[in-house]
Amino acid sequence: MTLENTQMSDIATAGHGKPPGLFGRISFIDLMQSVGLLAVILLGGAIMSVLSPVFATMRNIENVLQSATIIAVVAIGQTFVILVAGIDLSIASVLVLSSVLSVGLVQFQGLSPEIGVMVALLAGLGIGLVNGLAVTKLRIPALIATLATMTIGRGLAYIYSGGTNIAPVPRFFVDLQAARILGIPAVIVLTLVLALIAQIVLSRTSFGRSIYATGGNPLAARLAGIKTERVIIIAFMISGLMSAIGGLLITARFEAGAATAAQGLELAVIAAVVIGGVSLFGGEGNIGSMLLGVLLLGLVQNAVNLLNVPPNWDSVVSGLVIAAAAALDVYRRSYLEAGMRKKVIATKSKQPPKA
Amino acid sequence: MSALETSFDAAQPIDAPRQILVARGVTKGFPGVLALDNVDFDVRAGEVTALLGENGAGKSTLIKLMAGFYTPDRGEITVDGVALQADPASAHRIGVATIHQDAHLVPAMSVAENIMLGRWPGRYGWVSRKAQKQRARAAVARVAPHLNISTPAGRLSPADQQLIEIARAISEDSKILIMDEPTTSLSPPEIDRLFRVVNDLKANGLGIVFVSHWLEEVFAIADRVTVLRDGRLVGTEAIANLDHDKVIRMMVGREVREAEHKPRPIGDVVMRVSNLSRDGLLDDISFDVRAGEIVGMSGLVGAGRSELAACIFGIDPYDSGTVEIAGQPIRANDPKAAIDAGIGLVPEDRRRQALVGLMSVRSNMTLSLFDQITRYGFLSSQREEEIAAREMKSLAVKAASSKVRVSTLSGGNQQKVVLGRWLARRPKVLILDEPTKGIDVGAKSEISDLIVRLAESGMAILLISSELPEILSLSDRVLVMRSGRICAKLTRAEATSETIMSYATTG
Repeated sequence: MTLENTQMSDIATAGHGKPPGLFGRISFIDLMQSVGLLAVILLGGAIMSVLSPVFATMRNIENVLQSATIIAVVAIGQTFVILVAGIDLSIASVLVLSSVLSVGLVQFQGLSPEIGVMVALLAGLGIGLVNGLAVTKLRIPALIATLATMTIGRGLAYIYSGGTNIAPVPRFFVDLQAARILGIPAVIVLTLVLALIAQIVLSRTSFGRSIYATGGNPLAARLAGIKTERVIIIAFMISGLMSAIGGLLITARFEAGAATAAQGLELAVIAAVVIGGVSLFGGEGNIGSMLLGVLLLGLVQNAVNLLNVPPNWDSVVSGLVIAAAAALDVYRRSYLEAGMRKKVIATKSKQPPKA
Repeated sequence: MSALETSFDAAQPIDAPRQILVARGVTKGFPGVLALDNVDFDVRAGEVTALLGENGAGKSTLIKLMAGFYTPDRGEITVDGVALQADPASAHRIGVATIHQDAHLVPAMSVAENIMLGRWPGRYGWVSRKAQKQRARAAVARVAPHLNISTPAGRLSPADQQLIEIARAISEDSKILIMDEPTTSLSPPEIDRLFRVVNDLKANGLGIVFVSHWLEEVFAIADRVTVLRDGRLVGTEAIANLDHDKVIRMMVGREVREAEHKPRPIGDVVMRVSNLSRDGLLDDISFDVRAGEIVGMSGLVGAGRSELAACIFGIDPYDSGTVEIAGQPIRANDPKAAIDAGIGLVPEDRRRQALVGLMSVRSNMTLSLFDQITRYGFLSSQREEEIAAREMKSLAVKAASSKVRVSTLSGGNQQKVVLGRWLARRPKVLILDEPTKGIDVGAKSEISDLIVRLAESGMAILLISSELPEILSLSDRVLVMRSGRICAKLTRAEATSETIMSYATTG
């Protein structure tokens, strides 16, 4: 009895060395995904430190992590949306809108930095709400609905900023970028805290469970009494909020309200999330593994820079990595399904044949 | 004498129609069910063979075998002496065309393009519009002269779309036309037109297989009737030797074991459905279910039973009428309201409607029990495991652990997980829609026993089932549905296989 009941969680917790409460729910398969990604990251890192003397320096690693924070924060929000089998293309636009608002409200309107930040975050939540309502109430496909808000959001950011970066930024952003907690850059700590909260919400709350159920089988979720429309709307709002936080981070990093930044960021984020094992079909994936996807993509970018790959080639390389990850994911899935079928047939054949 | 018999068997009578398709000893099993068991079937040129049987008798499987979707486990199907390959394209080539219930056309393409779909005439990848029109026109002229061949198929009525599919079959020089419930979405004049086309094709020597639940239609069009029951062949008879009652007896014919039915105390009305209607699907449905009572709901597939369950449970909206639980009307189109009011639903298609395959057994079990396992929004895995362990034990769910994915379980065990979800909630009314569908015999009887135990504990149960023995052995009362209405309310004494079948198929 105990033997039967513990096998999965034991492997999962032993592998992670984290408190069982938090990661105990991650299945063996998800763990394999993470281990695979981790192996690729470590192997790639080892190769890179041979190829480039700069790679393994503290400075470079910190740089990789710092630039990954923005993608990571936005990707946390995107993960919620993809888990409910949606997609959010408006994230980069929300990010720049938040960035210009957080600076512009102080520079142009003379408001306090706190209000600037608050309005920026509310704008993110608001666009998320619009996305969610469009997808659930108007039944517009998420791809189209968020394509519209993506275009609108970027346009609003340009209109508000006049199409240029707004500087200087309030003191708060400069401090945020410079701050260190226990010697670690504060933005990295902030990202990890947000990731931890997201993981707890997903694995330990009824809302998180509703997210997985809605993405895994919306009809079954609804028939079990889950308000699936509400769940989807909240997922989009989380994505909007996280993108707005990403906008604050980019403001701090560039020391400007960056209207023209983050071109194509939405695709990089979606790619990182998918590489991190979050299924585009919904209902499958976790934050920890997803962060490894972000890290892998960041390392590829870094490698391309360090190895002096001609700049026009870097998107080709990133694209190949994405394609490889997606192909591996499909392969993994079909392999698993085949395994499950065998298992079912095996248990069936053990039963005595009926008359 | 014996010599005479042998020679008689070997040589066909001179005037007997030629056999085109011959199936011999065909057997096909799926995990947990033997869908067809050693079935012989043939289709003759210039004849309409009606294929009959209750739901689950094996008709669909036989059709899919003939259309090349499945390979038989044993036995052989030949068309004009050539063995049929398990591949829909080669079944088409060999001359077997299937008309499904719903037309399979490309809506944006013209009638002509649809008729020639995939066989567009022309060279080097260029489609010759002229040749396409010519050939399409020839086919359409035979079955639907009223249609313009350049109309997009999507604009046609379902009846006309079906005729286009028949035209496609003709243009392919098919020898056999399998029609799977072709009349379900047709109006009476459209059915007449279809029958004229069928008679014309028959006169031209095609062999036609006609599947229908409506016996009037069968008697109007068929030359022979083949009846399947529980995957076995009951028999093939010329229509002249049959009447309505004989066919029904062939369809239900099994001995219904008189399961001992202990009378239960029946309480007050728990659920009352009044004048519930939904345009085109449900027509003025009224009935009630009392505490401790099992009300069986019988009828053919498509009679509107699952649609009724979906309306009661708030999955689908309805136009008028009310659903009351213990006198309180419940809000329409809101499953949460239905659950809170005390209704539980075990839906027909558990994989699609009840279970999240990616989630564990435990998470699936507690999917509608968040209020029991959370505090301030946080899940208690301890509480969750208690509930899962308790229900898994009481239902004898066979699974390696409560943490394995639910999709790894067998059908019967998956169904028990869905049942466990509702048992933990103790609903006042439990609606079971085909609770033993696709489940092996052992699990079936366990679930039947469970239904009785639940009724004994005072739960009101609405049992929707296409299996007559299940309805007959469990129900205190039987409602029969047909074409979206309740066409009969029978007491336990009145309910027999024959009466139920008769109400369900004619009216």
